[in-house]
Amino acid sequence: MTSGLTEIESFIAKIPPFDLLPEHAIELLVKHIEILYLRSGEPLPPDTITKPSLFIIRKGLLAYFEQDSTLIDKYGEQDLCTIFAFANDELAINVKAEEDCILYSLGVADILPVIEKNQQVIDFLQHSAAQRLQVKVHQLAQDDVINASLGNARLEQFYHSGVETIDAQQSIQQAAIKMTEKRYSCLVVEDDKKAVGIITDKDLRSRCIAKGVDITSPIADIMTKSLKTIDATSNAYDALLLMNSSKIHHFPVTKNGELDGMVTITDLMHFEGQNAVNITHMIRKAKSVAALEEIALLIPKLQMRMTKIGTTALNVSKSISAICQSLTQRMIELAIERLGQPPVKFAWLAAGSQARKEQYACSDQDNALIICDTATEHDMQWFSDLADFVCHGLAQCGFIYCPGDVMAMNAKWRQKQSAWHQYFSQWVETPEPQALMHCSIFFDLTTVYGDESLLGEVRQRMLERTKTNTLFIAHLTKNALQLKPPLGMFRDFVLKQNGKNKKTFDIKHNGIAPIVDLARIYALSLGITAVSTIERLEQCAGTKVLTQASAANLIDAFQLLHQLKLKHQVMQQKQGESPDNDISPKEISRLERAHLKDAFKVIKTLQDSRQTVY
Amino acid sequence: MIYRQLFGFQALRCRQLKQATHEAVKHYLSLPLPDKNTPIKDVPLITLDFETTGLDAKQDKLLSVGYSQVNQLKICLSTAHHQIINCQQLLTADNVGIHHITDQEKSRGEQLADEIALLLEAIAGKVILVHYAKIERTFLQQACLELYGISPIFLFIDTLALHKQRFDQQTIPYDPSELRLSELRARYELPDYYAHNALSDAIATAELLQSYLYQNNLENKPLKNFLSW
Repeated sequence: MTSGLTEIESFIAKIPPFDLLPEHAIELLVKHIEILYLRSGEPLPPDTITKPSLFIIRKGLLAYFEQDSTLIDKYGEQDLCTIFAFANDELAINVKAEEDCILYSLGVADILPVIEKNQQVIDFLQHSAAQRLQVKVHQLAQDDVINASLGNARLEQFYHSGVETIDAQQSIQQAAIKMTEKRYSCLVVEDDKKAVGIITDKDLRSRCIAKGVDITSPIADIMTKSLKTIDATSNAYDALLLMNSSKIHHFPVTKNGELDGMVTITDLMHFEGQNAVNITHMIRKAKSVAALEEIALLIPKLQMRMTKIGTTALNVSKSISAICQSLTQRMIELAIERLGQPPVKFAWLAAGSQARKEQYACSDQDNALIICDTATEHDMQWFSDLADFVCHGLAQCGFIYCPGDVMAMNAKWRQKQSAWHQYFSQWVETPEPQALMHCSIFFDLTTVYGDESLLGEVRQRMLERTKTNTLFIAHLTKNALQLKPPLGMFRDFVLKQNGKNKKTFDIKHNGIAPIVDLARIYALSLGITAVSTIERLEQCAGTKVLTQASAANLIDAFQLLHQLKLKHQVMQQKQGESPDNDISPKEISRLERAHLKDAFKVIKTLQDSRQTVY
Repeated sequence: MIYRQLFGFQALRCRQLKQATHEAVKHYLSLPLPDKNTPIKDVPLITLDFETTGLDAKQDKLLSVGYSQVNQLKICLSTAHHQIINCQQLLTADNVGIHHITDQEKSRGEQLADEIALLLEAIAGKVILVHYAKIERTFLQQACLELYGISPIFLFIDTLALHKQRFDQQTIPYDPSELRLSELRARYELPDYYAHNALSDAIATAELLQSYLYQNNLENKPLKNFLSW
């Protein structure tokens, strides 16, 4: 630390392409730096820089805009701005400081003698401006796929023009009659030709019938008074956000200030749902693993957007699971292109959350293969290659390898149908608690690709056994009851069953998993084929194992927990963290806390009742 | 002091130029100092830091010198300079012979003279930027007195004084430690830096001035608003 420039040197030495340069070259380079300050809002380069220069951001944020002031990108600390490095680059780009910046400016002519021996560095600097921007534009095009629908659309493309009005003095019944006749779910209420409120189907139900209000009372008594309207030229995505935030699902649309029509949240959500369809379509057309990898990057973004517009967690997970399924299918097709046609019939299975369609972005892969019994040793090699290709491919797309090794890559889970029959018969007929804990994932299976009958037959035989084998159900129950929800929450702590408190609780293992386990036990004990938790609970409702009310309670709890988990993970995603399941009470609003405690109670009650059964 | 107040610092410089005998000082004084009404952003600055063994310019020693030009408020590292002044005798005085120490004293004296001459050349026609001017001002004056028999006029901008003034004006209660370079930098969210190297301190001070001027929209204000006497 004698030179006093060591810090700047080590800062520069980490930044590509200068990381390719030897130490002495870095020292020379630093000698050419001018440190300048750029105030937020001011353009780059400032007047004081006249020669072609490149800039390294020491601190702050630069924003790049197209000529028409569309934002292209933002750059922060340690990023390089090469746009002004070569005078002949005629890039139609404006750069501005978005936050106050400290910049290291390097005159290109000054540093050329230092870097000219290193062609890679020169190439990087020369290509970066044009080419890397192209990459960015490509990314923008991807974003467009996600934003395709609502982001760029105007409301006028969606709303139904023509709106029915009713005078505020008319009775509630008259309003209901008019709505029925016109087949409208809402009417705008006018007083003296001026719109003063709105009345919807829901208002009739909750504010009139439920409260026993006289149907001859004036409609004004039960209408929603603060009439929010939205202009036809508004951005459709903004409209959707507005509906969500204001919790109003019908908006009168005005055109040139006049009431012109009506838009409902369903109109918009349906359109937004197209995004998942768009992505699935891109997946089907992908020609390589690399192309799939690129598309997979869209999944977390889609998840974030769906969450933002208020799609329920379970609908988000359904969409994400569907996309992951088609991505796996395409991956298998690519493998077959490479390996040749499969020698015998087979089925690629998804296990666990993907099978239950309760998956979110960035989850791990759980899969398995069932192969027709006629396969030879030689045929089995083909499936081994298939499994390697697909599992590695999925990992490349961001689906991390299953930590428990539940993957088709593992020979144990890549077996002929007869072996699978045997697995299940062993698990069910001679259950060992330890073994059961690890295999519970295989009771949630779905066919992703191939011959569905292979799994169908295995499942059929398995369910016949589980229905009658109480010992198996007892063991499964015993395992399931080991995961318990917390007792409650106080201040910012979570109170565990053992009376100790923690700062966070694991929403997956202490919230969602116990419900999933309960639903599985109910389904297996009744021989129900459904795999998704909600379907299982719905189908078991009103039977000897689960009352209607309990099923409804569990479904509510399950939805709430998923909602919280998704919210937590999307927040982490926004902050650039990798998603986990550890939720702190601090993240949860008072109202949600009350609901969450109820959810814990529901789980505990049903766990306790399971315990007393066996 | 009275002369400067009556006739201004340019007049003082001219008068001192007539008295000066030594070449290095003559050269320094021959270049006009920036006009006091020049917008600060156009004033050529030298950001400077001394590392010393203490606060007393008469007794304590100068250990190292670091500086760099700041033009149009850009810190130009091509002009960055850092020099450690030989000070071994301070550390080993007890266990070396008298003769040896004298030798080292002599070489130290020469080195110091060279450094001050270089510094005078670098700061000619410029304003010196420091954080806490007392050290650099007294050590520089003392060195000039010893070497050239005259203490020429130096113009100083002191980022510590500027912030102290600011805090006092705003009647913000503050702890004096908040005026330290690293504390003030943190206030502007400037990155951490390696303290107690003369050059890196000098650069850190210049960055602090940049933030102070730009964040308070002062870059077009005249030099006279910032000078510290």
